[in-house]
Amino acid sequence: MGQRSGVGLVELAILEALDARRARPGGRAVSCEKVLAALEDEIGLARGYAYQVLIDLAQPWKLPVPLIEGIGNFGSRGNDPPASPRYTEARLSRVGQVALAAERGQIAPVPIGMINGNTHREGIRPPLRPAAVIDAIRQVLLKPRLSGPVITGIVGPPEFITGCTVTGDLAALAAGQYAELGLHARVTVTDAAEVRDRVAKAAIPGHRLPGFTRDLGRPVIVIDKFPPYANTDDVGLSIGKRAEEYSWHAHHPELAALTGLPVTDVRDLSARGDYWYVCLPADGTPPQVLREELLKVHGVSIYITTRLPRPLPTMIRTWIRAHQHEDLPGSLTALEIALASRQQRRLMAAC
Amino acid sequence: VPSVNAAAKVPAVSANAPADGEPALTGRGFPAVVLAAAVLAAERVSGVLVGSAALWLRAEPVAVGDVDVVIEPGEANLRRLHEALAGLAVRPGAVPALHRLREISIATVFSSYGRVDCMLERGRRDWEWLRPGAGYVPVADVRVLVASAADAWALRSRFRKR
Repeated sequence: MGQRSGVGLVELAILEALDARRARPGGRAVSCEKVLAALEDEIGLARGYAYQVLIDLAQPWKLPVPLIEGIGNFGSRGNDPPASPRYTEARLSRVGQVALAAERGQIAPVPIGMINGNTHREGIRPPLRPAAVIDAIRQVLLKPRLSGPVITGIVGPPEFITGCTVTGDLAALAAGQYAELGLHARVTVTDAAEVRDRVAKAAIPGHRLPGFTRDLGRPVIVIDKFPPYANTDDVGLSIGKRAEEYSWHAHHPELAALTGLPVTDVRDLSARGDYWYVCLPADGTPPQVLREELLKVHGVSIYITTRLPRPLPTMIRTWIRAHQHEDLPGSLTALEIALASRQQRRLMAAC
Repeated sequence: VPSVNAAAKVPAVSANAPADGEPALTGRGFPAVVLAAAVLAAERVSGVLVGSAALWLRAEPVAVGDVDVVIEPGEANLRRLHEALAGLAVRPGAVPALHRLREISIATVFSSYGRVDCMLERGRRDWEWLRPGAGYVPVADVRVLVASAADAWALRSRFRKR
């Protein structure tokens, strides 16, 4: 990875290619096909592989801090794939520009790799909250003897851009040990009236309100804020599968009760980048019971193995020590300004 | 009686779910993916559960990521496996055809419980070695054939560093 930004080398090559074509924030985007052709010519990176990485950088639900702004169809969180690179365009995000500046030595290093982690590419380093990492580095710069627990407290738990809930042995993770993290969608018991209001707010022309909203007081369960690596289309299929009857149910009623979902209806109401499902509990099923069961469905909850390269406080201190003779406060300010820019906030809110 | 994780004996499993609107919790609950092994057993697929799920059922302190089942070789069992996977998989179309199951080393399907790896080649080679050490462990009202902890650790150490 790039020593001064922590961004992967292939990712950096893509950022360089975009910058070389002046596809910068506020400027014009460039065709992805041209970027891929340049990468193939210049460094021999095969187009299919490079496009996969470029897509990861552009999909707003993957990275806490997007490095690229993708224009066109970069796929959905379900099954629809990104369009061919012929039909998509990209330009650098503000933070992508800061990463390049750090790599070129124009500014001091920035902890973008530490913030973004690499779980989006099936790595084991989870993403961390950008402002918290910056704050922790600033605090250690001011007070080098800041204790480990205080640094860990400032950084806080891993944070995924989709807003999913994180569970697991966070203390082990902070200590640099392997930790199995559970990423859970938000599963909320509400009523049909709230669903109707949410659909109406999205105001999609031609989008019909779900039929069951006629009984507005009826309890329903809303699933949203999915884990970033869950396929939202598959979640709907999984819930449907668990609601089906199987021949073995008659012989194993206890297992059938454990695995079956008392659902009478599931609706995918996702629209405009807002992914959410509504489930109607079967008659006589307390909504809270169904909520607990839904949280066990793969995709509503997923589990990933994580580990930081070293204990979190050591990681922060080592990073500072490696770059202590440079203007770290200046580069952190540049990163903060980039994060606060309109383009970056728009990209980070797109999820 | 094989030793079993205490939670496995509890019929009403809990996913240790975060409460409504709760931002983050620590600790994990019962691994729902273990139920996929029970479903395969309920579908009368003959196989030995290995990997992290087996170790968890043997009360070993491991996190369960997926389900690995060594499948007993034999035409009738492969047919049952094919049908069971079609019922289990989120995308039945992605289940390998029966003739492919006779050739491939591992069939992987994604189910509503999580990832299920059916180890076919290992079954063809190691079934006779693995079966004697395995024992039945109850998961709900299904008896799941689970490798001994020693065999599961031995297989795991062959494929994983940790």
